[in-house]
Amino acid sequence: MNASALTIGQSRDDGVCVVTLSGRIDSTNANDLMNQLTSLITSGEKSIVVDFAAVLYLTSAAFRALLVATDEAERNAAKFVLCSLGGHVRELFEMGGLLEVFTIHPSRAEAVAQLG
Amino acid sequence: MARPLNLIYAVGDVPPPAILIISAIQHVAVMAITLIFPLILAREANLPQAQVLDLVSLSMIGLGFATVCFSIRSHFIGSGYLSPAAYTAIYLGPSLFALHRGGLDLVFGMTVIAGLIQLGVAPLLNRLRALLPSEIAGLVIAIVGLSLASLGVRYSLGIDTGQSVKPEYMIVSGVSLATMCILNIWTKGYGKMFCVLIGIVVGYVVSYLVGVLDLSAITPKTGLVLFHLPRLDHVGWSFDAYLLAPFVVAALAATLRVMGDISNAQRLNDADWVRPNFSSLAGGVSANGIAMIFCGLTGSFGINSYSSSIGLSGATGVTSRSVGYAVGIGFTVLALIPPAAAAFAIMPLPVMGAALFFTAAFVLTSGLQMITARMLDARKNVVIGFSFAMAVVADIYHDALTAVPLVLQPIFGNSLVLGTVCAVLLNLITRIGVRQRVSIKLAAGGINRERVEQFLSEQGARWAARRDVINRATFGVVQLLEILGDPPDGVEVEASFDEFNLDVHVKYVGAPLDIPERKPTPREIMASEDGERLLAGYLLRRSADRIASRQSGDVAEVNLHYDH
Repeated sequence: MNASALTIGQSRDDGVCVVTLSGRIDSTNANDLMNQLTSLITSGEKSIVVDFAAVLYLTSAAFRALLVATDEAERNAAKFVLCSLGGHVRELFEMGGLLEVFTIHPSRAEAVAQLG
Repeated sequence: MARPLNLIYAVGDVPPPAILIISAIQHVAVMAITLIFPLILAREANLPQAQVLDLVSLSMIGLGFATVCFSIRSHFIGSGYLSPAAYTAIYLGPSLFALHRGGLDLVFGMTVIAGLIQLGVAPLLNRLRALLPSEIAGLVIAIVGLSLASLGVRYSLGIDTGQSVKPEYMIVSGVSLATMCILNIWTKGYGKMFCVLIGIVVGYVVSYLVGVLDLSAITPKTGLVLFHLPRLDHVGWSFDAYLLAPFVVAALAATLRVMGDISNAQRLNDADWVRPNFSSLAGGVSANGIAMIFCGLTGSFGINSYSSSIGLSGATGVTSRSVGYAVGIGFTVLALIPPAAAAFAIMPLPVMGAALFFTAAFVLTSGLQMITARMLDARKNVVIGFSFAMAVVADIYHDALTAVPLVLQPIFGNSLVLGTVCAVLLNLITRIGVRQRVSIKLAAGGINRERVEQFLSEQGARWAARRDVINRATFGVVQLLEILGDPPDGVEVEASFDEFNLDVHVKYVGAPLDIPERKPTPREIMASEDGERLLAGYLLRRSADRIASRQSGDVAEVNLHYDH
């Protein structure tokens, strides 16, 4: 498997569901991410943190997946936040004018504390 | 130029008078350590004590004059950055040889010649910039940091030819160094800004208590007067062609060090620093040339920029060039007051060692940061690794390596010079076979992202390109491939690079790309794949510094340009 392919991990921290992403998110795997996030929300998960610390980059397909998940969370009254957006990844959110669209925390600990 | 957050007073700021004066005194104290080199020369020349004091005073004026020259911002001389001066070990070997061959007159004459050489080299620097990329500048700074640390340890522990450690030296340097570290790490404001000066003062006190401070070492039996104009009795000039080679090599080594130091000063003042500004470097080298001529004419020693002081300005957050002017005035005033000159001249070795070791940490890490900001492949690893190792080896096997012909001694007898010469030569050799324009063909049948990532990553390392620029280009190409889908004849990706530009051309058979100006709304992005395509095009436009699309026959081309 390529080192930069997307891996999606899931864990629980202080009652909050933490989804850890690693690698790149593009059109080949954005649908997998979208499906996993929306199924978490529809299954009744009310607090979800998506950790971007190990993400290399993400393309427009990934942004669409995240927007769909955010929309799904709003409709299900779930809290859906992102955290640990580093250098280039944060730049991409900024370029797309999407920093304000999502709730973003600097670190996983802060995100969990906010939602927990 | 983006101001770094850790700076209290940046290069263009003028601190309040009290801060300015104390900052200048702090630099004066650190710079005065290097008066040891003219003192060695005076001792070897068997100068009487009165003339030794004259030489110390003239050397202090030289330090002040050189610091002003380095810090001035003008078209011809000066780097425009706070860049204090120092007497340097680079000239120690050639100067001692000149002394034994023709006396002090020959030392001073050849010092003037070395200055003229630097003045001649300065205008050529811009043409040589391809040979001195920022990773080499970083290496030079790291080696300087290492050699300062090595000297600092030797002075701190009192290690001489017997390799034994003096316990009283350890006490003095330990207390002095601990003071500097505690103030720098755990305090803010004045404590942090003046940590080295306070550490030096504490070191003097402890030295006095343990009996290391020797007031009689430089005080004439007749005592010190309060005001004294230094005399030029010991000054004369002569020239010997036989000594040209070692002084040329030493002048070139000093030039490389100025380039490394000024690059570091530029980096400290600019959070967005990516490469040296060569106009500022040339001004710094010219300043060094003028200062060398001044020192030669006034009977002093070979002078250079001072990495320790630049490390100090980074550690304290005060990089104002006004401090440089204050240092110039301060040294000139102190030079006329013999007790002040003597106070600096008797600075105990372990106090010098603590200050050198402390500032070396900041110099070393600055150099390492400059190196690691670039992607490094096997060639660059060889250049950096071998050169760094040779610099270390030069100190370990000093005696063996100095058993070379005289002309080569300035190279092999000095770790900085040997490491730098190795780096420049190896960089030249390993450039052979590195193409500046490369391409790959991606077959139809799906987007091969891994190949694009590998191609740009490997090529970036061969070019020692900036990691962040290669990451942006990789994103740009992958995003573009997503927009293009799967063109029937595949896609050709061509990348070209020089130190200032990275251009990626993507060619395919199909319609030219329409690059949108408008940012789609989140609702549009979610609603359909058209909205996503709109975002893709918008991200592509925003992520590249320039983007263009054109068509020639059936073949369409998208050009992505990234400033480097």
